[in-house]
Parts: sequence; C-alpha cells; structure tokens
Amino acid sequence: MTVRNVAIGLALCGLAACAGVLGLTRSGPRAFPHRSHVVSGVSCTRCHPGLDASSAELHLPDDASCTAAGCHARPHDTRPCLTCHVAPTALAQLAEARAHLKFDHRRHLDGTKGNCMRCHTGVADGDDHMRPAMATCFACHADDARRDARTCDACHKDLADEGTLPATHLAHDGDWLREHGTRAASSGDVCQSCHKPAYCAECHGKTAASLPATQRFADPFAASVHRAGFAARHSLEARSSPGACTTCHSPDRCVACHTARGVAGGSIGNPHPPGWVGLTASLNLHGREARRDPAACASCHGGAGETLCVQCHAVGGVGGNPHPPGWSSRQPMSAMPCRMCHPVGSR
Amino acid sequence: MKRLPVLAVALAAVAALARGAPADPLRLHADALATTASPAGLLVLDASGAAQPGLSAQAVVWVAGNTGTDRMQGDDARGDVLVIAVDAHTADGTAGARVGRFVSTLGALRPEHVDGAAVRLRLPYRVDVEAVGGVPVLPGLMTRRSWDWLAGGRIARRFGDWGSAGIAYEQVRTDGRLVTEEVAADVGASLGRHDDVGARAAYDVATPGLAEVSLSASHRTEHLRAEIYASHLAASHRLPATSLFSVIGDVPSQRAGAVLTWVAAPRLDLTADAGARRVDADYAPELTARARLKLDDRGASALSAELRRSGVGNQAWTGARGAARIALGHALWASTELELVRPDDPRGRGSLWPWALAALSWERGDWQAATAIEASASPEYRSRVDALFQLSMRWGTP
Repeated sequence: MTVRNVAIGLALCGLAACAGVLGLTRSGPRAFPHRSHVVSGVSCTRCHPGLDASSAELHLPDDASCTAAGCHARPHDTRPCLTCHVAPTALAQLAEARAHLKFDHRRHLDGTKGNCMRCHTGVADGDDHMRPAMATCFACHADDARRDARTCDACHKDLADEGTLPATHLAHDGDWLREHGTRAASSGDVCQSCHKPAYCAECHGKTAASLPATQRFADPFAASVHRAGFAARHSLEARSSPGACTTCHSPDRCVACHTARGVAGGSIGNPHPPGWVGLTASLNLHGREARRDPAACASCHGGAGETLCVQCHAVGGVGGNPHPPGWSSRQPMSAMPCRMCHPVGSR
Repeated sequence: MKRLPVLAVALAAVAALARGAPADPLRLHADALATTASPAGLLVLDASGAAQPGLSAQAVVWVAGNTGTDRMQGDDARGDVLVIAVDAHTADGTAGARVGRFVSTLGALRPEHVDGAAVRLRLPYRVDVEAVGGVPVLPGLMTRRSWDWLAGGRIARRFGDWGSAGIAYEQVRTDGRLVTEEVAADVGASLGRHDDVGARAAYDVATPGLAEVSLSASHRTEHLRAEIYASHLAASHRLPATSLFSVIGDVPSQRAGAVLTWVAAPRLDLTADAGARRVDADYAPELTARARLKLDDRGASALSAELRRSGVGNQAWTGARGAARIALGHALWASTELELVRPDDPRGRGSLWPWALAALSWERGDWQAATAIEASASPEYRSRVDALFQLSMRWGTP
C-alpha cells in the first residue's frame, strides 16, 4: 500500500465522517418525491385538492389523500406523512408564497389545460424547487404591459416585506458589495422595487449616523465595507484604493475625525517623511504621492490649506507647473482654483 | 438638542401621511445602540407607510449622544434626517416622482444625497427618462447653502426584460461654482438564465478625463458561479473641480480579477477571488479565499473562514478572519468573529492587529436585543475593550 493510497483512504474516511455536516447525507425530513409520483401517473390534483375552488388555501395533501384509493393504504408510521416527507423549508416557503403573491391557481387551470408541470417545471429535475421561477411566468406573460412597466405589484403584494431575492440579472450572489454599483447602474428602477429610499442612504447618505452593519454587530455575516477591524486597517485600504473613500465620504472627513481623536491636525507635528519637499527629484516625494492620491492631500490641505501649494506652484514659482502633459480644464481662468496660481493676465 | 423638534416633525409628517393607510401598513422601526467606545448612544427611528396605492413615504431620523474622548467638534448630542421622502407613481407605472431628502442614483453617476425632487417617465418604445434636481445635502442640519444646487438626468432604453442601456448627465454647483460635471453611460444585460454582464463609465467634463469605469461579467450554474471584473478610478476626478488638487493630473488606480464561488456540498460554499491592483507604477496581487459551512439546512448556524492578501506597496497586508453563529434555541444566538491583520510595513504601529467580537443576541416577534464585547489592538490603541448593546423594536399598524 503506497502513501498515496493511504492519503486517498484517509480523505475518503474524512469525507464520510463529515458527510452529515456537509449536508451530503440527511437524517431528517426529505423533500417530497414529487417526481416519482408524477412518473407513476399520479395526477397533481389527486393529492392537492381544491385547486379549482379556492385561492386562499395552501392545497396541502392530508394523510387521507395519501391513503385514498389504495395508494398508501398501510402507512409505515403513525405520525402524519408530512412530518418526514417534506423538505425542512418547503412548508414555510409555500406559506410565504401564498402570503406575498397575488396568485390564483384557478385562473391558470384553463390556460395550462390542467397541466401543472407547465409552470412547476422543477418536478422534472427533482424534488426541490417546486416554486416556479419568475422567468417561467414571463414565458406566457411576455406581453403584459405591467411587466413592461416593471410594476412588480401586479403580482407581488409587497416585495420589500417579502424578502425574495432576484434569481438572475440582479442576483445578489458573489461579491455583491463590490458588484452592486455596476449592476444597479442600469437597473436602478428594478432596485427600487424592493429597496426603499433609506436603503441607499444608509451607506451613501451624507447624514448617515452609522453603517447598517454597525447596528447589526451580532450578525457576523452581514456584508459591509467597514466590517470587523476596519478601523485599524483603514489607512492601508484608503491608500491602496485612492478615491474609493470619496464614494461616500467628503475629502475633509479624514482630518475632521483625526483632529477630533488627536491623531492629526494641530496635535502632532509634520506627518510627512524626510525628503517630502526638496529641490531635487530624489528629495521631492510629495509630487508623486499627490498625483497618486490627491484626495489624501485634500483631506488636510483642502480649502485654505491650498495656499501652501500655491506658494511654490503659482505661475513663475519655484515649484514649476504641477499639471501633467496634455492636461486641460473647462474652468475659466478667473474661476477657482485656476485664479489661485494664474493671476489675471497670466497663462 | 434644539434639533430634536425638527426630527420629530419629520417623523410626524410621514406618520400623518400614512395614517389610516388602507394599502400598506404604517411601519415604525426603532433601533437603539449604545457603546462604551466613546461612550456613545444612537437612536434611529424609521417610519414608512402608504396612504393609498401608488403613494408612499418613508422617514429615517436619528439622534446620537457622544460624551467621551471621541466626541466630535464639541457636540454633546447630534441628530439628523437621513431620509424623508414621498413617492408617487401612476397605477400603470408609466410615471413616478419622489420629493424630499433621498439618495439620487442616475445610472453610472455617483450617488448624490439631495434635498429635492426626482421624476421618472416611461415613454413609448421602452425609453425611460429620469431627471433629478435639488440641493446637495450637508450634514448636521446645516442651512448655509446659497447657490448650491444639483441637476441631472438620464435617458435609457430597455431591451425586453433582459437588459437596458442609458446615458446620464449631472452638474453640481456650490456657491454657484461648478464642482462636478459628468456624463456617464451604463449597460446591463442578462444573457439567458446563466450569464450576466454589466458596465458603467463616467467622464469628467469639468476637468476632462475618465473618472470611473467598472465592468463585470458572470456565469452561474447550480453549483458554480464565475465572475470576471475590472475597474478604473481616477481620484483627481472625484474631487470638486474647485479644489486645487483636482488639477494635478489623472493617475488612475485599476483593479481586475476573477471570482469563483463553488457550492462544494449542500452546506459548504467555497469562494476564491484572485486579482491584481495597480496604483500608479505599483502592482500588487489581491487574493481572497473564503469557506462558509452552514450547520443546518436553513443556515441559522454557520461557520466561516477567510484568508486575504491586499494592498499595494508598503500598504500591503495579510489577514485572516473567522466567524461563527450558533443558534442556541429559545430565540437566542451566539456569535463570534476574530480577525488578524499583519501589515507588511508596521512602521512602529504593531506587527499584528487583532480584532475580536463575541455577541449574544435574542429575537422574538418584533423585538430584537443584542450585546457584545469587542476587543482589539490597532495602530491607535495598544489594547481596547468595548461593550455594545442594541435594542430594536418594530411596530406595524395594518
């Protein structure tokens, strides 16, 4: 027996031992075997009575429908069938759908000619996912004007309360925190179907008191750009992604917070390293750093502090032209900030 | 504390609008958060409701008390209005409007917090037109805003229910001076049930140059999701055009990479994110590996572990993070997080920055409560221990 075989054997033993934890084996209730019933020729309405009568019911089968007509005449257990023969989350999902959707099975019986699998296509794939995807609805309702106008309340009673996530284009999977800006740019109206005005403002609002994750500190899986020990590493992240902070924060936020905490401003001396400003390229780091992250400079030297730059970089000054080659602006020379360095009449 | 009446009026306005709401219940949500970190307290009130179908409103106001060493600008209590907005739309959804304080999102343009109004029209041939106008929000209930205004619009074309593309324009002025003028384009599409693409780009007109671009394309199957992404951001174009620092050039930072998410087992998700970041002439890898194991079918209890390498040049760091949430029964949950960050260049700020939190939470009906102990060491504090408390309640009036 080689070492490789031992390793494979140990891996398989480990997998077998962890199979329950990983969800590969299940000891509890299992999804109802819809597929095998359909393949056996059992019609849906035989177990789900009342589909053509009432829209308010869940149309769940009871034990009597299981034992009727000799199907399961002698149950192997005295407990109700749905104690074990139903997925753990299925009944909750069914009740949720009934509570949140304006759907009436009766109105669809004629159109589908009583063939439930026209919509419940998941039956063909297995025993989970019985609720049809929204795309299945649109296979028939493609020309619905309300769908075209993206008026979700034609079918959904209250999307925000429902908590259903999109399944395709705006599916909130992957790194949604990073992706959401790109996806939402072209679909802002769809986002507003579920998210109320405060949702965007909780992070992007200038008057936000704290991020949502701060208030939900007990949920370790809540997504947030400032999760966990962000306060400790924020300077590393800010300098590695120049400009990103200004998505939500104004440039003067840095110095306001640092001054209040006594870690910058008048409480300490010059924070710049030796060689920050000098007469040779090797002793003149500030130009390169300012181009990399001008927002960082603006956080301390913005506003009145800009005169520090003007002292050297004004037209004719020893600092020379700070603009890169090909730089242009539509601002008139008499406007800010041009006039700070370009006196009237100069170029 | 003089601002409290203003906040109360904001909340009362929404409550009055939603009184007797037949279409949507009036909902109130109160969050109280207290921490020994400052020490500080925060009370957030959120009210929403609908007076009738097609007419709804929401207001979120907060008040905070801060008495410790972290107090800002000498304020002993602060409060503000995050949102107070009334939405209206026609029954067929062809026209809609929003008035009040809200965050304006016009396609690929940056979100702007504004006191103003926005309208949206759905025109024939699946053309949508949006417009927004108002005054940019200043924090702290400030009123000094002579000649501050914002105006913008977007025109877009929808393609079935699978995609749309749009062009947006926005101009912002402070004291009458131009601070932002941008045009932007966005496109998004769902190519079948498995593939999505999205892209946006913003161009700075005031100081000509590409301000921001981002691209994302993903493919998903039942157990696998793959995404490639890229972004480009020029910090100088993020600054107001009146800032001297907006004239020193366009040195963008760029990032590109791919993310693979694999449902390795029914309860085990694995994620790998591999990319690279460029800032000026510096390149650096961006790597993340993450595993999350649900301990039950609903995911009420779960464990996660994450390794990360991030940052450019001497700002690079390596980190590890673990988190767990365990359902204890009786509506109680215990959760904990641990993060360790090791900067490549400590510069005397400590070679390892640990952060940990242990929390106990309870949720029953409309009530939620949580408490936690947070401990950390950082460049700012050699060691620090704080306690956090949170209490939430919801009311709903059918």
